[in-house]
Amino acid sequence: MVEKGNTKLFVRKILPKVFKAAFLAVITYLPMYFLSSLISPIKPFFPWYEPVTNIFAAVFIFFLVVGVLFSGTVFQYVFGVARTLVLMIFFICVLNGGIITLTVPTEGASVNIILDVTVVLAILVLICLLGIAKNVIQAIDFMSSKTEKEEL
Amino acid sequence: MVKREERRMRYAVRALGWATKIFWIFIIAFLATSVYSAMNVKMGFGEPQLFLSSGFVVISVPLSVNNSGLYDLSELNVTVDVMDYNGSLVLTSTTFVPLIPRGSSVETAHNASMSLDDILSKAQIYLFNDTIFNVGMSMKLKFAHAIPLQISMNKTIPWGAPLYDFSVGQISYDYHNITHQRVTIPLSFENHSPYFGVDGTMRVEMYNDRSEVIASGTSSLNVPSHSKYEDQVELIVDVLKLTPSGEMHFYFETSLLSFGPLVMPYG
Repeated sequence: MVEKGNTKLFVRKILPKVFKAAFLAVITYLPMYFLSSLISPIKPFFPWYEPVTNIFAAVFIFFLVVGVLFSGTVFQYVFGVARTLVLMIFFICVLNGGIITLTVPTEGASVNIILDVTVVLAILVLICLLGIAKNVIQAIDFMSSKTEKEEL
Repeated sequence: MVKREERRMRYAVRALGWATKIFWIFIIAFLATSVYSAMNVKMGFGEPQLFLSSGFVVISVPLSVNNSGLYDLSELNVTVDVMDYNGSLVLTSTTFVPLIPRGSSVETAHNASMSLDDILSKAQIYLFNDTIFNVGMSMKLKFAHAIPLQISMNKTIPWGAPLYDFSVGQISYDYHNITHQRVTIPLSFENHSPYFGVDGTMRVEMYNDRSEVIASGTSSLNVPSHSKYEDQVELIVDVLKLTPSGEMHFYFETSLLSFGPLVMPYG
């Protein structure tokens, strides 16, 4: 009887979350995969890009999956904040703090390219901070609702 | 009261959610159009060329920018620095283009010039010794008035000395008449310059050890690029003024440069 109840709970509550998490993980990985193949011609100039991206993608997807699995609890928002923080750190790392340098060897000389994308990085960091703020407010809202329900 | 607070929080969450979405759309659109625009901007430095014009050494770097992207390019700044073998600045020059609007192109040559006399006065070594000039080129611009870009490169340009290995051979003294002697001075050098020939005259003045001019003569020069000059100059000298040692002063007058005196001792 107890086993039947557990199975029902698993099918009703946990299984949809697992599917949702798997679906979101795939959806999140796809743009990274396409971006990676899009920049493959210039990969030799950024040898560090792929390992860094893979690590951050793994961490980001982990927090995404865990966040979905913990949906309905305050941890959903905690993992949401963690995920957004990871994304922010990823942008700062991959854009090298806003200054991208590239050296292209040519015949008898080398061409140095310096691209200052500080403005773009600032907007990306702002987006991440907005995401963190949203998650924090949602967490507060969730906790206050929960307390209110408990009091009632 | 609590419900009102909750509602306010939900509005705030919704507002933050919309703000995030709008920023994401803006940044993705901007990045996508920027990449598209950057792919449609063709720019390049041509091969640096060194030539002589009216007594000036001109280093010309062809530059072309074709902006068929979606954004303007602004504050284009091209700088060329030339340094000699020991790192001292020979010349610096800058070209500034304030704006290249989208859909337009600029083709220009960035010319850096320096008086040959100035070069010679700064460093006579260039006339007699081969060397290498380090040419540093840099181009800065602002993409879409927001993203600064800098492209720089260093290139070496070999300099061939036009009077390389200028040397005086064994001076011979022959009888001319009872009061004078014929002094024969063998001279040689190699014109290593790939850019110009040495055409003009060379004047020789001979000084005794009392710093008196005892003879002078002129020889014509016609030495094309990468060829050797070997000739001799004959001077008639008063035997009473001739001393076993002294100095020879050489003055060069060519279509491109005037140089002298080059002082060489004899005896």
